[in-house]
Amino acid sequence: MAEIAGDEAPTPPPPPPISGEVSRDPYTSTPASTGSNKPPLRTTKPGVKRLILTASVLLSFLVGLPFLLKSTEIHRSPLPSDAITALAHRLHSTPPSFPCGLHAVFLRSVPDRSDASLTRRLEQSISAQLHLLPATSTAGNVSVSVTVESAGGCSSSSSNVGSGWQCGTVTSADLVIGDEVFDELLHSALGSGRWDGSMVYTVVVVETDDAEGMRVVVGKHRHAWVVGKADEVKAVSVIGKVFAKYFMNGGIEEGEAGIGKGEFMPVGSDGNVVLSFSLLNADPSDWVYDWDFEKIGERMLNPVVEALRPIVEINIESQVLYHTPKSSFSYFDDKLGGNVLSMGDIPFFVNSNEWHLDTSISATGRSKVLQFVVYIPSARECPLYLQLPDGGLSKTNAFISPMWGGVLIWNPPDCSLGSKRTHGTWKKMSSQELTETLEIFIGQLRQLFGLKPSYLSQDMDVPTKFVVSEKGFTEWELDLLYRHHACSNLLSCLTTLESLSSLVCSLPRMIVMDEIGRQVELSLEAANLAQGNATLGISDSSAGNICNKSQGIG
Amino acid sequence: MAFGRRSPGSSRHPPALTIVTALLFAFLSSAAAAASSSTDAMHNNNWAVLVCTSRFWFNYRHMANTLSLYRTVKRLGIPDERIILMLADDMACNPRNSYPAQVFNNENHQLNLYGDNVEVDYRGYEVTVENFLRVLTGRHESAVPRSKRLLSDEGSHILLYMTGHGGDEFLKFQDSEELQSHDLADAVKQMKEKHRFKELLIMVDTCQAATLFSQLQSPGVLAIGSSMKGENSYSHHLDSDIGVSVVDRFTYYTLAFFEKLNMYSNASLNSLFTSYNPSMLMSTAYYRMDLYERPLNEVPVTNFFGSVMKTLHTDSAYTGFLAAHDYETPLSVGDNLDDHFMLKDRATPRRSNIEKEAQLTPHGWTEVLLEQLEGKNTDTVVMYGLGAMGILLALSTWLSM
Repeated sequence: MAEIAGDEAPTPPPPPPISGEVSRDPYTSTPASTGSNKPPLRTTKPGVKRLILTASVLLSFLVGLPFLLKSTEIHRSPLPSDAITALAHRLHSTPPSFPCGLHAVFLRSVPDRSDASLTRRLEQSISAQLHLLPATSTAGNVSVSVTVESAGGCSSSSSNVGSGWQCGTVTSADLVIGDEVFDELLHSALGSGRWDGSMVYTVVVVETDDAEGMRVVVGKHRHAWVVGKADEVKAVSVIGKVFAKYFMNGGIEEGEAGIGKGEFMPVGSDGNVVLSFSLLNADPSDWVYDWDFEKIGERMLNPVVEALRPIVEINIESQVLYHTPKSSFSYFDDKLGGNVLSMGDIPFFVNSNEWHLDTSISATGRSKVLQFVVYIPSARECPLYLQLPDGGLSKTNAFISPMWGGVLIWNPPDCSLGSKRTHGTWKKMSSQELTETLEIFIGQLRQLFGLKPSYLSQDMDVPTKFVVSEKGFTEWELDLLYRHHACSNLLSCLTTLESLSSLVCSLPRMIVMDEIGRQVELSLEAANLAQGNATLGISDSSAGNICNKSQGIG
Repeated sequence: MAFGRRSPGSSRHPPALTIVTALLFAFLSSAAAAASSSTDAMHNNNWAVLVCTSRFWFNYRHMANTLSLYRTVKRLGIPDERIILMLADDMACNPRNSYPAQVFNNENHQLNLYGDNVEVDYRGYEVTVENFLRVLTGRHESAVPRSKRLLSDEGSHILLYMTGHGGDEFLKFQDSEELQSHDLADAVKQMKEKHRFKELLIMVDTCQAATLFSQLQSPGVLAIGSSMKGENSYSHHLDSDIGVSVVDRFTYYTLAFFEKLNMYSNASLNSLFTSYNPSMLMSTAYYRMDLYERPLNEVPVTNFFGSVMKTLHTDSAYTGFLAAHDYETPLSVGDNLDDHFMLKDRATPRRSNIEKEAQLTPHGWTEVLLEQLEGKNTDTVVMYGLGAMGILLALSTWLSM
C-alpha cells in the first residue's frame, strides 16, 4: 500500500467471520472511510464461481460452434462422385455394346433326317465364321441358333435364341408370291424379331433347285433370306457375311466414311433436328419456281419422322428463296451438252453470302439444323450437271456435306428450249418431279446418318436385293443407328459427369445448388439404366436422350 | 522477320494450385482417352469470333481493325451465320464522324468497311466480359437467339480475334472491366472439355498481346499476338480527314497478306506468321504453337479464315420409296391445287390467271393472234388492233345514225 500514499488509505476489510455465512459489508464495517467509491480490491483468490462462469461460457461457445460453422457454410449439394467413378470404371472396362442374336433357318427340300448333330454342327460353323469377320464396336456378343426344317421334321439347336419360328408356316413354295409379299409373310411368321428385349436377326436359307445360283434378299424388318442351291459351306459363309456386313455394319466397309464416325450423327444436344428444305431460284428474271411442299413433301416424310423418333425428334420446315446465285464457276462443255461442275468446285458451291438459309424460327439454341437445298440454275448456266472424277455425269446431281445438309441441282424442263418465252413466269414443280426430288432427299438423309443412300451399287459376290421401306429406313438400319447413338450418348454423358464431378471437387469453395445435385443424380440414374439395358441388349428405352440433362448442367 | 519462339512456359501459379491443376489434368486426360471420338472428328466447318473491346471515338482504329477482318473472313467464305461480331461502339453513326455510315481503314478511303451486309451480333454495351465468356462457353439463357450463339461442334475450327487496349495479362473491355488471361484460359479449357472446337486460332492485337494467352493449356490451340510483354502495339497511320488513326499495324499487315488471297488459295499459316516484320510493326509478333500438333507449313490459312465444306457425292436416290409409299391422291399438274393456292397468302390472282391461261387450248384465229402478240413488235400490233377497233366503232355509229 505504499504506492497510494497520499490517498486516504482504505482500511483493509476485516477478515471474514469464522462462521463464514454472512460476509460483512466492508463499507459498513469501516466507518472511518469517508465515502470512497472505489470497490475495494479483493484479497482472496478467485474461487469456484469464476471458474464455473468461465467454463460455462466456453462450453456454450464450443457447443454452439458447430451450429455457427454450419450456418456460414457454403451450400454444396452433395454429388454422387463415388457412383460416377464406379460407372466410369464399369464403362471403361466393358465398353457399352448391345448383344444380339442370329437365328439361321434352313428350309430343306430334300427329305433329310434332320437331327441335333446337324444343327449343332451348323451352329458351330456359323459361330466360327462370325469370329473370322471383323467385329463392330457397338455390337456385343452374338448368340447363334439354328433351326433346320425339312420334310422329315424340324429341329432346333439347343440354344434358346428362338425368334418364335414355328415350323411349317413358311415353305419354299411361297417364294413365287414376290419379294415384298414374302417379306411380310416372314415378318408375320417371325414376330417382331425380339427375344427378351434384345434383337434377333434371322436369315432363312431356302433350298431350291435353282440353276441360276444363289440370290440374297434382305428384307425391311429384321430378316433376310437366301434362295438357291446351297451347299453347307457356302450357305454358312453367306449367312455370316449378310449378318456381319449388313445387320451389324450397315454395309459400310472398314475405312469408308459412314456410321461409326462422330460426324455422322447429326442430332442436337437437346435431341432435336430441324430439317430445313429450301427451293432456290438463282435468277428470278429467268423463271420462278414454286413447290407444293406442305402437301406432298410433309406427307411423304411423315413415316420417316415417325421411324426416327426414338433416336431424334425431327421438325420439318420449308421455304422458297430468290436471287441466290452459286459462288463457284461452271464451264460449258460441248460434248456433254451443258454446263458442268467438277467435284473440286463443289466445296465452294454453297454461296453463304447470298443464300440466307438459316431462317428457322423453331430451332432452339441447342438443336441442330440440316439444310436440304434444291438449286434451280439460271438460264445462263442451265442445264447444270455434276461431273464425277471419272468423267461421267452424276445421275442424281446431288451431294451432301456431313453435319450440314445436302444440295440437289434441278434443271427446269424448259431449260433446253433456250428461248426467252419463259421470261419471268411463275411455275410450279410438278408432283412427279417433287417426289423424285424427295427420293433423292431421303437418300441424302440416309447418307447424313452414315448409311448408304441406297444399295444399288453394292458388289457382293452373290446378287443381293434390298427391300425398300416406306419409312426411309429399314428396321435393322434403325437398330444400327439406335445402337450407335445410344453408345455415343452414354460415353459423352459419362465424360460430362466425370468432368463436372472433378471440377466440383477441385473447387472446395464453389456453391453447388440443389437443382444441380438433383440433375446429376437423375442423369446418373439414367446412365446406369442405359448401361444396364445395353448389357441386356434392350434397345427400346429412351436412353437415347439421357444426356440432355447432363448437357444442360455442363 | 519475326521469329517464333516457344512459349516461355513460366508458371506463375502457386505450388498448391499447380498440384490441383495437375490432378485435374490427370482426370481429364483419362476422360479424354475414353471419349476418343474428339480426336477422330473431321474438320467440317469454320467459325469466327471477332471482338472489338474499346469504345469512344479515339479508338476508331479498333473498330476498323475488327471490321476489316470481318470483311476478309466473309470474302474468303465464312457466312454471317458462323461469324459472331462484337463491336463495343458505333463509329459509323458517331456524331464526330464526318463520313456518316462509313468506316475506313485507310486514309485513301477506298474501301468502306461498313458498306453492305454487316451483321453485328453484339453491339454497344452488350460487349462485356460476361457475354464474351458466355459466347465462348455456350452457356446462355434459353431465350438468346441462335445468331448470338457460337454453335460450333467438335469438327469446328474457330478463329478468335480480339483487339482493343490491353496490358500485362489482361484485356480492357469498354474502359470499365477487364478480361484476365486466366479467365480466357479457363474458358478455352471449358470449350475443349465440351468439344466445342477441333482447333482454335487466337489473334490478339493490343499492347503486350502475347501475355493474354500465356496461361493457355488446352491442346489444339494456336495463338499469335501483336506484341510481347513490355512492348506496345502501334497504330499504322493517322487519317487527317477523319482526325484519328484508322488502323493498327499488326492488322494492317495481316490484311495486306490476305488481300492477295482468294478462297481457292492454299497459302500456309507459316507464311502468314513469318510475314510480320518487327521493324515495320515496331513490335515483335509472337506466336505460340506448343499446344498445336500440326506443323504450321502444312496448315492452309483457309482452314481458319475461309470456309470449308467436306462434300460427298450422293450416288443414288432411295429409289422405290415412292412405290413403297402409296398415296391415293392422283398426280395433277395444277388445276385442283389452284384452290389451295388461293387460300394461301402467297398466291396472287395474276399468277392463277396465268396458270388458267396456259391451259386454254388456242383455236384458230386466237392462235394466230397470240403468235403475233408474242412475236416482234407487240406495240405496233396493239396499235393496229386499237386503230381497227376505233374504225369499226366509228363505222357502226355512222351506220346506226
